This record gives sequence, structure tokens and C-alpha cells, in this order.
Amino acid sequence: MKFKGAQVSMAAVCLILGIMLAVQFRSNENSPRNLSGDRWTEITVQLENLQRERDFLAEEVLSLREKLENAASNQQGGAVKALNEELAKANMAAGLVAVKGKGVIVTLNDSPRGLQPGEDPNLYIIHDEDLLKVVNELRAAGAEAISINGHRLVASSEIRCAGTTILVNVNKIAPPFVINAIGDPEILESSLRIKGGWLETLQIWGIQAQIQPSDTIEVPAFKGSTKFQYAKPVKSS
Amino acid sequence: MWLVVVFCMILGIVIGFQLPLFIPLVYAKYMSIAILAVLDSVFGGIRAYMENVFDTTIFVTGFITNALLAAGLAYLGDRLGVELYLAAVVAFGVRLFQNLAILRRYLLKKSY
Repeated sequence: MKFKGAQVSMAAVCLILGIMLAVQFRSNENSPRNLSGDRWTEITVQLENLQRERDFLAEEVLSLREKLENAASNQQGGAVKALNEELAKANMAAGLVAVKGKGVIVTLNDSPRGLQPGEDPNLYIIHDEDLLKVVNELRAAGAEAISINGHRLVASSEIRCAGTTILVNVNKIAPPFVINAIGDPEILESSLRIKGGWLETLQIWGIQAQIQPSDTIEVPAFKGSTKFQYAKPVKSS
Repeated sequence: MWLVVVFCMILGIVIGFQLPLFIPLVYAKYMSIAILAVLDSVFGGIRAYMENVFDTTIFVTGFITNALLAAGLAYLGDRLGVELYLAAVVAFGVRLFQNLAILRRYLLKKSY
């Protein structure tokens, strides 16, 4: 042996290097960045299939609801008629029927200005929070029916950020966001344009917002599930 | 010497795979820079050993300070918004190749 301690220190360092390598390798392997190409395509195909299935099922829900309505309206008699009227009201309240009327169309789009180096791109795009605030404002101003990009907002609807997109009723939506709201057009518009309101804040960041009052706005029916899995009505006896 | 290096590296890798230790993704970059520094130290050590100038103290302190400095530099760079870790990558990368080239020459000379 040429040098005292050379082998020992070299062995110790190599041991540490090995441990570091293994730990790093394992940590990297577990990170989502390192999905292999195969996995990407697999997931993409899966996603496409599920989307097709979802669209198909949504259509089926609509046609089945229509059938149910037809079956119900075919039956005559005072009690059935009253029940049907009640049902129609309840469906209307729950957002299960497409409605139309006066209202405003709010169009929001990401800022068109180019990003300067070092700037946070998050400032110039629309977030789930912005949509929530706009919708909240519309609701407070008495909007009776609201849809975002053709997805009806009902009591159970969520507006939530998922990665780079926004989910509404578990459907991905992308800018430009078109919010249809039925209600008094003047009140709706002025509630959004109020000084210090959210729209003003958004416009500071260059986000494009247009409010267009209209006499005939259509808001589609809610296409999702209305099943209650856990909630049971409380008996009032 | 080669046996020691290879054996201990394999032993370390085996131990590392058994350890329930994970580097959070945020720190993975610093860890990789530190690994590069250690790798450089090991090659430097082997080269010094072949040139008969190996010094245990220099080797061990060099290994520790190199790794800490490299990771620290990367961290500082991230705080400042300057990609300082590139400096470590380039410096250690160049030295790795140089050490490797010198080692190769020694080994070739020896075999003649």
C-alpha cells in the first residue's frame, strides 16, 4: 500500500457517492416529470376514450330525461298534472332545463400583451378565482341562470383550477371564457363594472373583458349527475 | 485501488436503494450538483493516487467542501435568479474529462 488511509478514505467517499447516486436516482424516478413516452401515450389514449364516453353518457342523460318527461306528460289526470308542474318547477330550480331570456354575455380572455423577461405569467392569465369572483358578482346581482363556456352552473358546480386549465362541472374549459347570465342586463352589467370591482382589477393586468347585454341568451341544461349518494332528506314529522 | 472504488460504489448504491430516504423534488437539483462534485473528487483522488501525491486530508476536505460549495452555489443562484449551478456543472464537467484523460494516459503507459 502506497499511502496510509488512502484506501479507507477512498472507500468512504465512494460509499457516500454510491448512496447519493442511488437516492437521487430513486427520487428522480418517482418524480412525475420522468414519465416515459409510452406512459404519456397510454394516458392520452385513456383520456380520449374517457372523454368520448363522457360525451356519450351526457347525451344519454339528456335523451333519457326527455323520455321521462314525455312519459310523464303522456299521463293525464289532475294529480299527475299538478305533480308535473311541480316537477317542471323543481327542474327549473335545479338547472336541469335549458332556459333563455334577457341577460349579459361576459367574455374574458387572457392578456394579449407579450411577457417581459422576468415577469410572472400568472399575472396575465385568468384564474379559477377570477371566474369565481365574476360569477359571484353576477349571482349577487340577481342572475337567474349562469353558464360558463356552455356548462351550466348549478348548486353543486365547482370552478376550480386543475393544472393549466379550469374545471367547471368536471369539464375542462379554456380561454376565452364566455359567461352567459340571465337576469336584468342593466343590473348585471353595472354590478360588474362597479368601481373597484373585480373586473377593474382584471383590466389592470390587461385581461380582456367584454360585457354584452342581449335580449335572447340561452343557458343550456346541466348535464352532470344529480344523484345524492350520502345526503338523505330529513323527515319533518 | 480500482477494486476498492468499484466495490464501495456498488455497496453504496445497494445501501442507497434500501434506505427509506427521499430527496424532495425541490432539492433534487442541489443533490445532483453535489453528486457531480463528489464524482469529480473521486476521479481527482484516483488521479492523485496514480501520480503518487495522494493526501488523505486534502482528499477528504476537498470532497466535503466541493460538494457543499457546489450545492450552495446552486442554491444561491436560485435565490438570485442567476443560473449559477451551470458554473458548477461546467467546472466539474471539464475537470472530470481532464482527470479521465490523464487517468487513461497513465493506464496506457502502465500497460506498455
